[in-house]
Amino acid sequence: MIQARRLTKKYGNGVLALENLSLHIEKGEFVFLVGPSGAGKSTFLNLVIRREIPTDGFLSVAGRNVTLIKKQEIPLFRRRIGYIFQDYKLFPNKTVGENVSFALEVIEVDPMEIRDRVNFVLDLVGLIHKTEVFPSELSGGEQQRVSLARAIVNRPLLLLADEPTGNLDPDTSWEIMELLREINRRGTTIVMATHNREIVDRMQKRVIALEKGRLVRDERKGGYAVEA
Amino acid sequence: MKLRTFRYFFREAWRGLVRNRLMSLTAMGTITIALMLFGVFCLFTTNLQYFSNLALGRIEIRAFLSESARNYELLKAEIQAIPGVQRVKFISKEEGARWLEKALGNKGLFLGGENPLPNSINVYPARGANVENIARQVQRVAGVDEVVYGREFVRLLHIIVRLIWVIGFGLLFLVMLAVLYIVVNTIQMTIYARRKEIEIMKLVGATDWFIRWPFMLEGIMLGLGGALIAVIIVLEAYAFLNNRLGQVSTVLSLLTRAEITPYVIGGFFGIGIFFGALGSLLSVKRYLSI
Ligand SMILES: Nc1ncnc2c1ncn2[C@@H]1O[C@H](COP(=O)(O)OP(=O)(O)O)[C@@H](O)[C@H]1O
Ligand SMILES: [Mg+2]
Repeated sequence: MIQARRLTKKYGNGVLALENLSLHIEKGEFVFLVGPSGAGKSTFLNLVIRREIPTDGFLSVAGRNVTLIKKQEIPLFRRRIGYIFQDYKLFPNKTVGENVSFALEVIEVDPMEIRDRVNFVLDLVGLIHKTEVFPSELSGGEQQRVSLARAIVNRPLLLLADEPTGNLDPDTSWEIMELLREINRRGTTIVMATHNREIVDRMQKRVIALEKGRLVRDERKGGYAVEA
Repeated sequence: MKLRTFRYFFREAWRGLVRNRLMSLTAMGTITIALMLFGVFCLFTTNLQYFSNLALGRIEIRAFLSESARNYELLKAEIQAIPGVQRVKFISKEEGARWLEKALGNKGLFLGGENPLPNSINVYPARGANVENIARQVQRVAGVDEVVYGREFVRLLHIIVRLIWVIGFGLLFLVMLAVLYIVVNTIQMTIYARRKEIEIMKLVGATDWFIRWPFMLEGIMLGLGGALIAVIIVLEAYAFLNNRLGQVSTVLSLLTRAEITPYVIGGFFGIGIFFGALGSLLSVKRYLSI
């Protein structure tokens, strides 16, 4: 699903955010991307979704060389990838239902199909009864579930999550992790950048650790840190 | 693109206008003022052109004949043969006197004394002919004493018309830049308010045109609104002034409102739409590069 070889990203301001990163993520995998703040986790995800362009090296996503994607091909490319953020990025003036259907409206899906798909994902994240509610009336965990619903309503092959539990308490974090595990079980590849040691340790999934833009560890069923 | 999508575009554009009510009104007002300036300038120059064409078309060369000249028909034929001459007309000294009396409003000017006027031939140049050239050739015809025409007037008219076009276009250019600047700023307020929305749209795979359309429509609506007000004001003011001018002077004949209406409407709406759309495209550009 994702293949990186000697991937390097240097920002315009001279910051070397990723350096010679090589890794391979298979279809259907669940991968944690860990490392201290500033290690380059978000940069990697932004390269995958083609918000940034690699400075050097090779990166392919879903069989496409990201560097070679033309500007007008980006929208179609992104429709196969879901993205969730630490701060949910919901629209406060849209209801839960509208927030989710927005992702389908902008790619001009038929109204009937929009309704079906929105109901399906809201049911999946357990918020079907809150369709008409505004985000401000929801808890943090519920808001993240809405953003998760929006990310998967387009049935992406790949789901990228950038510290999705960063603003949540442990219990709520686990609700989100359960949902991610379920989505992954249904076949979506998931790459999740996180700081959350407890979650990584308990999930026992593949762990890729970055430090100062370099890959320092890639373990099949790892913990957040290497045991001493 | 689907009809439903266009409804969405219109709704979003309208929301943008309403959200930034004050700025939108300011932008529309600016467009109105700019278009009015543009309109006043265009109407002034086209009328000047129109008037000068009329005036040039009416210009006549008067060839005063010497006392000895008697064969008027031959003289007429000779002058008529000069290239650029459309028509000639013999004016006897009596006719000349009557005309002068009428023009001066003084009946019986020559009643007592001798009529001092010579016989003359009026030469009417064809439209666009070189008046100076013709005058020179008429002068050379044997039997012609003196040639009179509005040489200075012709030259001045040409210079004025040209000068006004040059100055006007310089001003116009500045005005249009100002309009563009204001439109860009207005649309940018809307875009700024919706930059997060744009970011999400880009991430879920909306195309750039899908994102641009609402802003384009918003800009176009600003342009149309500004143009509509400008059209109404300019046409009404023009009719009013034309009417007043008609009362004051019969010499100054302007284009009628009916004659200018299609051009004012077409020009104003065209310019309004163009600058509205261009302004919004320029302002949305920066936000699409993610
Ligand atoms: N758009 C950007 N422009 C310049 N520097 C950036 C940009 N984004 C991130 N960086 C820098 O790149 C480094 C890696 O950042 P990031 O990928 O956000 O790390 P992480 O997500 O692991 O905390 C940091 O030093 C950060 O300051
Ligand atoms: Mg980050």
